[in-house]
Amino acid sequence: MSSPDGAPHVVIRSVSKRYGPLTVLDRVDLTVARGELVTLLGPSGCGKTTLLRLVAGLATPEEGAIAIAGRDVTRVPPHRRNVGVVFQSYALFPHLTVAGNVAFGLAVRGRPREEIDRAVARTLSLVRLEHLGSRRVSALSGGQQQRVALARALAVEPEVLLFDEALSALDRNLREDMQVELRRLLREIGATAIFVTHDQDEALTMSDRIAVMNGGRIEQLADPKTLYARPATLFTLGFVGQSTRVRGTVAAAADGVVTVDTPVGRLSAMGHFAAGSPVVVAARPEHLNVVADAAGHDGGDRARNRVDGRVRAVIFQGSRSRIEVEAGGETLLAELPGRGAADLRPGDDARLVWPVAETFVYPDPEARP
Amino acid sequence: MTDTAVRTPVTAVTRPDNDRWLTLGFAAPATVVLALLFVLPLALLLVASVAGPAGFSLAEYGRLTTPHYLGVIWNSLRLAVLTTGIAFAIGYPAAFALARARGVVRSALLATLFLPLAASVIVKAFAWTILLRSDGIVNTVLLALGLVDEPIRMIFTETALIVGAVNIFLPFMILPIYAVVAQLDHRLVDAAATLGASPAVAFVRVVVPLTLPGIIAGVALVFSLSVSAYVVPTLLIGERYPTLSTTIAKAFLLARQPAFGAAAGVVLLAITLAAVALSARLGRSGGSR
Repeated sequence: MSSPDGAPHVVIRSVSKRYGPLTVLDRVDLTVARGELVTLLGPSGCGKTTLLRLVAGLATPEEGAIAIAGRDVTRVPPHRRNVGVVFQSYALFPHLTVAGNVAFGLAVRGRPREEIDRAVARTLSLVRLEHLGSRRVSALSGGQQQRVALARALAVEPEVLLFDEALSALDRNLREDMQVELRRLLREIGATAIFVTHDQDEALTMSDRIAVMNGGRIEQLADPKTLYARPATLFTLGFVGQSTRVRGTVAAAADGVVTVDTPVGRLSAMGHFAAGSPVVVAARPEHLNVVADAAGHDGGDRARNRVDGRVRAVIFQGSRSRIEVEAGGETLLAELPGRGAADLRPGDDARLVWPVAETFVYPDPEARP
Repeated sequence: MTDTAVRTPVTAVTRPDNDRWLTLGFAAPATVVLALLFVLPLALLLVASVAGPAGFSLAEYGRLTTPHYLGVIWNSLRLAVLTTGIAFAIGYPAAFALARARGVVRSALLATLFLPLAASVIVKAFAWTILLRSDGIVNTVLLALGLVDEPIRMIFTETALIVGAVNIFLPFMILPIYAVVAQLDHRLVDAAATLGASPAVAFVRVVVPLTLPGIIAGVALVFSLSVSAYVVPTLLIGERYPTLSTTIAKAFLLARQPAFGAAAGVVLLAITLAAVALSARLGRSGGSR
């Protein structure tokens, strides 16, 4: 097992890419350490695939520079970069066998036959397909094709592995298995990898760090836990994990805590805003506790937010239940584990209680300045 | 359990049986037409070619091995090989241009390919004679521009023959290749590039093998069309360049030597079949690597 050693391996500096009038990437900076697994996460059109193609050399930036392993490759064509790409639909060569696909990169490098055979055998066993070398790729299942695509990229011992939505074509169970297996494999061989995905679960499972992208920029770059616990922007909050939110106006601010007037009452959150600022207050549903008895005993606790309302719906989801609580014309979402919501019924009075420390506040993007 | 075990074999047997009868039913009309209009005449041709005055004879085939008729066979092969080669050299890149073109340009290019197919080959061959005559358009332009002092002899030369044949048969090269190129997944070229293949290497190792079925179809079509072409050599070069086709026509229509014509016809058929069989074989081996 190896883990990132901190040495910068892929350095993307102030890179911009335009297609006609459309700016797809806007001065993006990103450094990936050797052995690190970084995910570019975002909705379609956010520029994540374009950024990956720039690193692969399949596109050239208008501005900025890209270096791989200390070498400036900004203008280097893809075939001289030594990168390994696993494409969304795998892009396996249909006219070659499994072994032929895996051997391709070494064959075009003119390596001797014995070396190629050894490398093919080694990489195929790495992805546990050693018995399928002579098969045609069209005869393989989706999961097997995915492994061949990975083996083909690994065989050339690339400086960096690039995955473009590589798991999205697999069905859910297989995808989850592959996430875990792929992460273990990449760790084992100490690979540096950049994943592109719109799947937040995949990003959280696979990555050392996640770059959340939106509109051609990186909104937040952080490790999965920080990203989830402290989303820096409303976009990140919305894209990673569930959230419940309500708009309001800052009433007072002191010591890094703002008090916000909202339709559901006065809420406190960690943040710095001037009084009068239009904001959105948000929290993760799993932090909201539902107290059936509104005449609570924690009335004076300033470290908690409280909202009194009425249960609108209880949605049983197996390992957890979602409870929709209506208050002041807004609907807040709470999530309780297991059978915690067993005695709640729609129409019941309920009090929502959650820590101020787990309450986020962001500028209201829809408010007029 | 028992129910399923009993029922399953029954359906498994009846289903393919029905399918087979259905398939045979659909194929029957075409089979009858082919047998009556194609296989039967060819069988008669084969019989006629070996029917001497005193029964079975290979004498007519013997005549075909004389230097003159070996030259005729050579002429046919030469016409076919040159036409196919040049049509491929022009058609292969043209198919890529066609596949890359978008919108109006693509429609216009496709129209220029398809429209000539609507005109009779005689019309097209005559059009070439008008262009290439001593007092034709090409010579008039060359003279007017002062590029030549007297008309160049173009019509009734091998050049005219090949130019005309390439022009007339080119769509049959481009269309099958275009059909394959249009299906080509460009991510495969991207994948080859990221694996270290320069554009030239990616072309040779990925693009050519994947377009091979189209190449083989186009080459087989143009070769069999040009090796048996009759109108094109008759109008564009005439007596100076006898081919198997013109020889067969002469044997049947003028010389009244049906047995000899039949023998030449069998040889021509054998050449065409060999070309088609060879390309089918290449297609299979190319596809199974």
